[in-house]
Amino acid sequence: MVNKTFDFTGLKCPIPVLKTKKELKNLVSGQIIEVISDDVGAKKDIPALLSKIGDELIELKEVDKNLVFTIKKA
Amino acid sequence: MVVKKINYIVKDRSFEKFAMMAFLGSTGSAMDIQSHFFCTFWGLRLLKKKYKPRARGMPFPMKGMGAWMFKKRLKKGGIDSLLDLIKDAVEEGNVKLYPCTTTMDLMKIKREDLLDFVEEPIGAAGFLELCSDADAIISL
Repeated sequence: MVNKTFDFTGLKCPIPVLKTKKELKNLVSGQIIEVISDDVGAKKDIPALLSKIGDELIELKEVDKNLVFTIKKA
Repeated sequence: MVVKKINYIVKDRSFEKFAMMAFLGSTGSAMDIQSHFFCTFWGLRLLKKKYKPRARGMPFPMKGMGAWMFKKRLKKGGIDSLLDLIKDAVEEGNVKLYPCTTTMDLMKIKREDLLDFVEEPIGAAGFLELCSDADAIISL
C-alpha cells in the first residue's frame, strides 16, 4: 500500500534525487512512497541513491513518458 | 567499494564549474557522501560574496548572457539558485568549502570577502591531509 505519491515531473537532475531523499527522511521504517519523474536520468539516479542510502526500490514502471518508482523506507 | 568521501580541487571561476560544485556536492550530500572542495587560484573567486560567475565555454563571448541563459533553463528544471543548493548541503554538514590560504595572499582576498559558510582557509598540507582517507580526488 502506497502511503504518499510525489509528482516530480518537469524537474531535472539532480532535483528529483534531492527531493526523493528529503521525503524519505520524513518517513518511518516500512512506509512506502511513489515517486513520479519524467527526467530520463532518474532511471539510474534514483536506484543509485537508494542503493547508497539503503532504502528499497520495490518497483519501477514506465507509464506513458513517466517513470514511477515505488520505494520502501528501510 | 562504498564511496564515503570525495575531495575536489576547484581551480576555475566559471559558471560551469560552480554548477558542477553545486550538483555534485548536493547530490553527494543526499547520498551520504562527504564532499570537500578545495578552492584555489581562480576557483577561490567562486567563494567570494556577490561574485557572479560567467559561462566560459561559450562558442563566442556573451558578456554574462551565457550564465543568464543557463540560470533561466535551470529554473525551469527546479533549481532556483545554485548558491542555495550548495549552502543547504553545507548546512546539512556533508559539504565543506575550503579557501586556499596561498591564493588569498596572492590575490589579496580577505576572509570577510568570502561567503559566511565557508570553512577556515587551509594550505596545501591541510588539503593533502584531508586526502589521506578520501575515496577519490577530482580536479574540476
